[in-house]
Amino acid sequence: MNVIDPRIHQALDGELALEAVPAELRRTVARLAAAADLLAAPLPGPATSLESRVMAEIRRPAPSRARRVMRWLVTPHAIILRVRPAWSVAFAAVVAALTLFTAGQEGPELAEHEGIAQFVGRFPEAQSVHAVGTFNDWRPGSIALEDQDHDGVWRATVVLPAGTYEYMFVVDGERWVPDHLAERLVADDFGRENSIVIVRPARR
Amino acid sequence: MTRWVVLACAAFLALPLAAQSVRGRLEGRIPSAAIPAVDSLIQFASQEGLPTEPLIQKALEGGAKHVAGPRIIAAVQMSLGQLRDARDLLVRAGDQPPVLPAEMTTVAWALRRGLPAPVVERVVAALARPPRAAAMHAVADLVAHRFDPDSAAELIIEAVRDGVPQERLLDVSTGVLQQVQRGHTRAEALAIVRRELPNLPARSKPTRGNVAGARRPASPAPP
Repeated sequence: MNVIDPRIHQALDGELALEAVPAELRRTVARLAAAADLLAAPLPGPATSLESRVMAEIRRPAPSRARRVMRWLVTPHAIILRVRPAWSVAFAAVVAALTLFTAGQEGPELAEHEGIAQFVGRFPEAQSVHAVGTFNDWRPGSIALEDQDHDGVWRATVVLPAGTYEYMFVVDGERWVPDHLAERLVADDFGRENSIVIVRPARR
Repeated sequence: MTRWVVLACAAFLALPLAAQSVRGRLEGRIPSAAIPAVDSLIQFASQEGLPTEPLIQKALEGGAKHVAGPRIIAAVQMSLGQLRDARDLLVRAGDQPPVLPAEMTTVAWALRRGLPAPVVERVVAALARPPRAAAMHAVADLVAHRFDPDSAAELIIEAVRDGVPQERLLDVSTGVLQQVQRGHTRAEALAIVRRELPNLPARSKPTRGNVAGARRPASPAPP
C-alpha cells in the first residue's frame, strides 16, 4: 500500500492552504480534490434508492393478460421431468411395436380374389423395363419395373386378379425377353417363349 | 315360349355388339389386314361355345410383338384348335356338354405346358371342377422338372382326395421340388411328400412391404 504524504491529507481536509503545499504535491492534491467533488455530486435522473425503485414498481399499472401470456411464453422456464425407468421402457416398447406393425400397411387394399405378383429381372444396361402380358392386354407401359438402387435388378410388385397369366419383359421399349427367373414357360406360337405367373388370392 | 323368344332376341342383339367390341379391341393393335380373319376365327369360337378371350389375347400378343398379320392369324387359328381339342378332351373325360369356357382354357393351358393328353384326361376324370386348374398346374410344374407325368398326376390327385385345398396344390409340387433340391431322387421326393399329406409347409404370404409397394396396372384384363 502506498503511503500518502500527510500534507496532501491536510490540504484535502482544508487544514493546509494549497499554496502552502510544495509544488510537486499540488497537482496530486488538485486531482484528488476533483475526484472528491465528482463523488459528492448527486447522480442525474430519478432517485435510485431501493425504496424508490420498489415504490415505482408498485405504482406501475398491471400489464394486460395477453402481455403476461406473451411474456410467459418468451421467458425461459425450467422443466423438471420425473420418470420411472420401467414406465419409460414400456412406453418405448409400445411406440416401437406400433411403428413396426403399422409401417407399410398403407398399401392397396386387396380384394378377396386378388393377389400379388412380383416381377424381377436383371438388365444391367437397360433404361426401361416393362412387364407386358395377358394381365394388361399385352399393352406396354402399364407395369414399369424400377431399378431404384441402380444395381441392374429391376422389380415391380403388382396387384392382379387371381389367375394364370402369360407375359414377357420389354426392355428399352423394343426388346422382348422372357423372365428367366420364372419357373414356368410356354411356347408363344411366334417362335419364342412366354413366362407364366400364377397369382393366388392373397387373403386365403 | 315367351322366355325363349326373349333369350333369342337378346342373343340376336348381343352377338353383333360383342363382335363390335372385339373389333374395337383389335383395331390399332394388330395389322388392319389381319383383323377380318382374326375376327371371323373369334366368331367361330363364339358360335361353338369356346372361350374367345384366349384368342383375342393371342392376337393382341402378336400385334404387340410386331408379328406379321399372317402369322398372327396362324397363331389364333392354332389357339382355336387347342381350345377345340380341350373341349373334346373334357367331353371324353366325362364332362357333360356344354363344357365351361374356363375348363377349356385350363385344359388348353395344360396341353400347351406339355402335359400328355391321357394324363390331362386322367386328372379331369378324377377331380371335380374347382381344383382342376390348380391341379393341372401342379402336375405341369412337376412334368416341367422331368417327373413322370403319371406319377405326378397320381400325387396331386391323392393330395386333393386327402383334403389339400386347391389354393395349396401348387405347394405340393413346390414341396416335391424342394425335396429334389435337398438331394433326394425324384421317386424319393414324391414318396416323402405323399407320406406327409395332407400336411404341407406353411405357405409364404406376401410381406407387408410387398403389399405396401404393390400397385395396380393401368388396365388389368381378366385372366
